[in-house]
Amino acid sequence: MAITEQQLEEILAKYPSKLQKNRKKHIVINDSSCGAQTIEANTRTAPGIITNRGCAYAGCKGVVLGPLKDMVHITHGPIGCAFYTWGARRNKAKSDDPTQNFINYCVSTNMQESDIVFGGEKKLAKVIDEVVENFHPTAITVSATCPVGLIGDDINAVAKAAQERHGIPVLAFSCEGYKGVSQSAGHHIANNGLMDKVIGVGDLEKASGKYPINMLGEYNIGGDSWEIERVLEDIGYEIISVMTGDGSYEKLKNAHVAELNLVQCHRSINYIAEMLEIKYGTPWLKVNFIGVNGTIDSLRNMAQYFGDPELVQRTEDVIARELARIEPLMEQYKKICEGKTAFCFVGGSRGHHYQGLFAELGIDTVLAGYEFAHRDDYEGRQVIPDIKTDADSKNIPELHVEQDPNRFKLKLSPEKMAELKTHIPLSYYAGMHVDMNEGTIMVDDLNHYETEEFIKLLKPDIFASGIKDKYVVQKMGIPAKQIHSYDYSGPYAGFNGAVNFARDVSMGFASPTWNFIVPPWKEEPLLTGSVNEEGVA
Amino acid sequence: MNEKTDYRDVNENPCHMCMPMGGILPIKGIEGGMVVIHGSQGCSTYMRRYISEHFSEPIDVGSSSLNEKGTVYGGEKNLKQALDNIRKVYNPKLIGVLTTCLAETIGEDINRIADDYLKERNLNNDLVIIPVSTPGYGGTQAEGYFRTVREIVAGLAQPSPKHNKLNIIVPNISPADIREIKRILALMGVEYTLCPDFSDTLDRPYLEHYSKMAPGGTKLEDIRGMPGAVATIELGETVGDEYSPGRFLADNYGVPLYTLPIPIGVKNCDAFFNTIKKLTGKPLAESIKAERGRLLDAMVDSHKYNFAGRSTIFGEPELVYAVSQLCIENGVYPAVVATGGAGAKLTNLLRAVVAECPEPVAILTESDFCEILEQSRLHQVNIAIGHSEGRYLTEHGNIPLVRIGFPIHDRVGGQRLLAVGYTGTTLLLDRITNTLLENKYRTYRTDMYDLYYKENSGPPAAAEDEVIGDDGLYSL
Ligand code: SF4
Ligand code: SF4
Repeated sequence: MAITEQQLEEILAKYPSKLQKNRKKHIVINDSSCGAQTIEANTRTAPGIITNRGCAYAGCKGVVLGPLKDMVHITHGPIGCAFYTWGARRNKAKSDDPTQNFINYCVSTNMQESDIVFGGEKKLAKVIDEVVENFHPTAITVSATCPVGLIGDDINAVAKAAQERHGIPVLAFSCEGYKGVSQSAGHHIANNGLMDKVIGVGDLEKASGKYPINMLGEYNIGGDSWEIERVLEDIGYEIISVMTGDGSYEKLKNAHVAELNLVQCHRSINYIAEMLEIKYGTPWLKVNFIGVNGTIDSLRNMAQYFGDPELVQRTEDVIARELARIEPLMEQYKKICEGKTAFCFVGGSRGHHYQGLFAELGIDTVLAGYEFAHRDDYEGRQVIPDIKTDADSKNIPELHVEQDPNRFKLKLSPEKMAELKTHIPLSYYAGMHVDMNEGTIMVDDLNHYETEEFIKLLKPDIFASGIKDKYVVQKMGIPAKQIHSYDYSGPYAGFNGAVNFARDVSMGFASPTWNFIVPPWKEEPLLTGSVNEEGVA
Repeated sequence: MNEKTDYRDVNENPCHMCMPMGGILPIKGIEGGMVVIHGSQGCSTYMRRYISEHFSEPIDVGSSSLNEKGTVYGGEKNLKQALDNIRKVYNPKLIGVLTTCLAETIGEDINRIADDYLKERNLNNDLVIIPVSTPGYGGTQAEGYFRTVREIVAGLAQPSPKHNKLNIIVPNISPADIREIKRILALMGVEYTLCPDFSDTLDRPYLEHYSKMAPGGTKLEDIRGMPGAVATIELGETVGDEYSPGRFLADNYGVPLYTLPIPIGVKNCDAFFNTIKKLTGKPLAESIKAERGRLLDAMVDSHKYNFAGRSTIFGEPELVYAVSQLCIENGVYPAVVATGGAGAKLTNLLRAVVAECPEPVAILTESDFCEILEQSRLHQVNIAIGHSEGRYLTEHGNIPLVRIGFPIHDRVGGQRLLAVGYTGTTLLLDRITNTLLENKYRTYRTDMYDLYYKENSGPPAAAEDEVIGDDGLYSL
């Protein structure tokens, strides 16, 4: 079922007029007769809208830095911000060296009123000293929360002095929550810091194995990265580093030796991918390990990039083996899922990635969107030159990198690059729009009110989203699937992940619990139903 | 009694949250109440996520979404816009405006902004705005909670004719606890205004039609009339006067204030019922007498298992105080009692009650789980009682955890945990006893083996039954 412009107007009519105009630009009904459609994204959320967006600190410390296991991540600020990022994301980590895995720790300077008045630099310095003494970590990060920037604490100076004092890297990130418009600003800040202070610090000049790669924008939620690594290693890739799921300073510092960078979550990490290409000449490949087809395409594209017939063959062998194993399982779940519809509203890449997996199960995604993505994540990277930088994005410093005089090396001839680019997404991402069907709808920064209204209108069978909107959806009688933290399940990536996802989604439909729950519209008399249907067509 | 010995600056695995977090809950317990957090949107998103997970409920909380520009020029425009947008979509009767570290650091005058807003929009008769100063660095969620309740009461209360009702002020207990208190009061035929009442709003039944604003909550009219009540019972022994809604009503309207602990444990329940009886003249209902009897019966049945327990109790001060008393009544003597905030009143109250304990008790304030674990190990604790972040004690210290309080993240049903009244106490006590037993069964064989066979020494083997009777002696 599709939605009409008029129905959309009716939903927005509830807003004050200024807000109506604002929200209208963030919503697009996919219609190929309109040519290239534009969506507004990465702009400020209107105050008072129940958005699902977080802050720059969440993107920096919570998402990108948090999973780096051999670093102690200090939150410089009052206690709340630190507490709320403690173990909230289910990024898993295991460590060969148990003394260097701090993933379960939450460390804060716990600023008090007096620190706000007199400044928190001294306390921060002392906390760093105590952390070194208690944990002996490989490295330390310091992330600033809102008040820190306002009172003018110079966390860079404190970090620098501590680094000299202790002889271990101490990295400062000015990711105060008021910067930018969402988590996205924090990703950028974290990317800059890691590029500037970590990647390339190691003295490795050459990878030991064949086909060395980095996996960027994979955070190992519910073990996703482990499932992907299983397959990649089986095929013969050497994984230099994962950014940042189950990642570490120790690995990240040698990331420059990779010959290809895979980008899973484009939104959160494309900055590093670009900078690595400029600095070391390493191209990046947009991959998508969510869904069986996504995984297969990604593996084949990787093999093509390296162009080694042996690798191509090994890739096909592994694909065939995995498919033979999982296809019967997927079939059985497909029977349950076939013909259903979904909403898919998540983060900055999953809103797109999971559509493919839904489609494999016979589920149509009728509404999709991102919480904090930019226009290129919807429309494709070709729009980047057209994106206006507003005051909010100008606040985030750009890091300008240059070719590394010693380590820059073209991995492929320019001709070969050009040739490959015609059929694989090398240093390119096409966004979600091209993959969505006619009449479906894209919504940027969906809020609680719109969630409810769109559900009433489109009556999806399942809603893939996060914890904050999950209960609105379930109270409306529709199963919700958490795609941020997977409802304590996972992995969902790769071949085994697809099966797990299929199982969990099927369970959402097949659980006898739903026999007791009848959403109101399912009981509506047929007549109103059909009138609606006509109005919609 | 050992007090805090080390003075670290670092907080390693915190045991408390920030003030505005605590402020959201009571506003959700007012009929037609909505919340706007004045600051950047991250705070409100994080708090919603946390509250949502605990209650398994949608938590709609607005934010004024301040950004860098707002930090320079002030957030007045954003806040007013937020109020406009919330009103349009939710049509609330009351909006609580809570500040954050950001708003406080830039010195926002939310009282003035709220007044101006109501005047400009000509809303004085249709909307109540309750501005509350809740800087994250100014205290814990427990203080944020009570300060907000006080501001709600202070903002609404009006000189009222005397009536028969009791004011009941509840701390951050579960919706199930609030329902239990209401059930008890109804049984006794007592009329009351309970504030804040999030028993329905934060634990909604599945209904055929979903509404944006959860039905339920304390009625504004009832709060307005609180000054005419017979008396106020405030379950808030650990609450400072400046945060106390009951104190406000006493000082400004002469409503007699009775401050009691949460009715968990025999003595605390008795105090609660006796106070009600004294104030209303209503006798204890027969069925409640029976509930009391059953609690005593359960205590007798379980006392030998409980006596093997040495507990660590942590979390918000009010709950910590009541649970400590329950543990003392049952011989699960507290060895470590901890809270994340300053807890000045708590410390004094605890000192009085832990005097009964056979061994010294570590009272930890401004504590974190690093210290709690260290002290728990030192005191050979074998059971922890508190919110879900205490799972750290289980994971790193092998100490089983009985979950109670806020937040509970790694289990479902935090909103349904019942602990108040004689019946609630019985249920909580059973959970504690059973956790001790479960742990006992889990380790019994190895403990016995280690004791009698491994070193080929130790006391002579006894019949199994006998050993179970007093095995607490061996297990520690
Ligand atoms: S501590 Fe302050 S800045 Fe952090 S979440 Fe709480 S109110 Fe927000
Ligand atoms: S205070 Fe700032 S950094 Fe902390 S959670 Fe709020 S918005 Fe984010």
